[in-house]
Amino acid sequence: MNSDFSKPQRQSAFGIIVMAAHTAFKIGRAFAFLIVIAFVKSQGNYLLYILLALALMLLVSFLFAYLWYIKFTFFLDKEKQEFVVNKGIFNRDQVTIQLDKIQQVNINQSILQKIIGVYGLKIDTAGAHSEEVDIKAIDETSAYNLKEHLLNRKALATDDLETAEQHSSTAEIPLLKISSWTLLKVGLTSNYGQSVALLVAFFYTIIYEGRQLIDAFQIDKDEIQTTVTGMLTILTVAILVAALLITLLIINLVRTFYKYFELEISEHKHSLLLSSGLIAKKNTLVSPKKVQITKYSQNYFQKKLNMLNLSLKQAHFGQSKKGHEMHGSTLEIPGCNPTERDDLLKMILGKIPEQGKTFIPDWRFLNLPIFFKLVLPVAVFLVLAFNAPEVKPFIGLAFAYFIIGVLMIYISYRRHRISVNRDFIIKQSGIWDISKEIVSPVKIQAITTFQYPWHKSVDVGHLCLHTAAGQIHFKYGNYTEIKQLVNYWLYQVESVNEDWM
Amino acid sequence: MPTETFTNEAIDIEKLPKYEEIQLIQPHSDYWKIICINLLTVLGLAAIGAAILIIFIDEIRPNALLIIGIYFVMAVLLFLLFRASFKKRGYAIRTKDVIYKSGIIAESTTIVPLNRIQHIELNEGLLSRIYKLGSLQIFTAGGQSGHLHIAGIPINEAKSIRDLLLNKLELIEKPTTEIEQ
Repeated sequence: MNSDFSKPQRQSAFGIIVMAAHTAFKIGRAFAFLIVIAFVKSQGNYLLYILLALALMLLVSFLFAYLWYIKFTFFLDKEKQEFVVNKGIFNRDQVTIQLDKIQQVNINQSILQKIIGVYGLKIDTAGAHSEEVDIKAIDETSAYNLKEHLLNRKALATDDLETAEQHSSTAEIPLLKISSWTLLKVGLTSNYGQSVALLVAFFYTIIYEGRQLIDAFQIDKDEIQTTVTGMLTILTVAILVAALLITLLIINLVRTFYKYFELEISEHKHSLLLSSGLIAKKNTLVSPKKVQITKYSQNYFQKKLNMLNLSLKQAHFGQSKKGHEMHGSTLEIPGCNPTERDDLLKMILGKIPEQGKTFIPDWRFLNLPIFFKLVLPVAVFLVLAFNAPEVKPFIGLAFAYFIIGVLMIYISYRRHRISVNRDFIIKQSGIWDISKEIVSPVKIQAITTFQYPWHKSVDVGHLCLHTAAGQIHFKYGNYTEIKQLVNYWLYQVESVNEDWM
Repeated sequence: MPTETFTNEAIDIEKLPKYEEIQLIQPHSDYWKIICINLLTVLGLAAIGAAILIIFIDEIRPNALLIIGIYFVMAVLLFLLFRASFKKRGYAIRTKDVIYKSGIIAESTTIVPLNRIQHIELNEGLLSRIYKLGSLQIFTAGGQSGHLHIAGIPINEAKSIRDLLLNKLELIEKPTTEIEQ
């Protein structure tokens, strides 16, 4: 492979293997349980057919991969500043990406790619999904060469003067490194919600597929049921709950390590280079200019451990007409300490945002959530409880729910605030994880204010800032103040013609 | 960065143009007729459905009066709600942004600065064409929520607004490309 990329070229021939494995894996996963069941149900003489089917599957995968390889070419059009990919086995697809629309170039390596010694390269644009490019096999030097070409062009085309002044050094000095010890702490303190979801999904598939297996093996269901109910004593339930919690923590840890192992951030010309991953190393290049919302969050434990999670939200939207919903692509940097956070903020935003004038919501913030999330359900429950004696013993639980709920809503009310100064808008919110979202007024795409008629007399209203990476809400504020802020932001956005991306 | 173009404290926020005091243009009164026709079509279909149920299913027949009652209450409510929302709508084009007010119960105002508009669409429906009305859609990078749909503008006016906005978009984009090069 040459390093010029100006002529159409194929990827590395090893791509066939990677693609074939990918396809075979996909087919295999789709038929996995069918195959297992077929194995169990069939007698020995059918084994031949099954093996034949497997061989056929492999053959199809390879054929598919070969065709895909033959048809997949890419080149760099230097005059038009475009990267062009031709692909499609049966239909001819041409993807053209303007270089200045490229948002990220990721170089990854999966296990298989590591064994063969090739890299995968993905181009992420600020466009619709279909426009994304995924090169499956490319050798290391070509990969980095191509990346350089793709991103260098962009830097030349839309030179960001500011970053050029501040960061003239091009050497790769890691700005930040997350050690395994920090990762351990991160794993123990954050992202419980996602792990719970994962665990639920896992158990759901286990139970669902397990049922099919039971049917296949023709095991007596009653027998299983009696053993299960026999096991359910208080002690076993306690052990089960403890085991679940421990599994949850372990899953959390594994996930954190898998994703963020050896996370390193370095400055790379005009952008930030993030690399991390345990088995598959993932490199991501981000231009600070394209970050729309910078957010950091911290919970009670993390505060004690003096660390926080930072995330950068980028624009990722359909340029084309309707139908393409906006998709934020978020980069997470877990476990930085406050000084590292400040360094990163300086790098991304140009300076550390200071607290400006703070606006707090009115007490009416509490009304609706308390009514709909607490009063109404508890009332329904109480009505139910007084009519059905089976539910009566649980009335205490309802009161506990009510009190905890009030407390949580009150905390969220106390945390909900927005702070505004000349350069930044900082929105704070959260109950357990307290997050701060920082957005610069030039990133605002549109502003909505709204008010209920019954709040007119008390001058209370709501604000929503639309950005390319999501919305920022401020509820139940003083409407006169909100209107003033909106006028001020409109002035800021409209008086200069600054690029938001 | 905006730092060079203005030094902060010198600006008196009170003296900035106030979006909330702009006189808004109401949608054309013919648009109310379109809303009514649409509503009547929906209600008519619902009435036919209800009639079929009442005539052909014996169990429902005793409740016919109740159903008819609910139907009329719903119809009146729908008309009132749409009337209220029609009354609340309004739009304005300023030199630097577009303002649109709407809402059934809550009154919401969305402002899109002209230099954030991605593209503009002008739609004409079948009914709208009869009444010579059109609706403008203004898209931003702010996703579904940050996009404006202004319905019931007389078609000539809508076209001239579209051309005006497109002109301004070009004007905005030109100087920046010159600076870049």
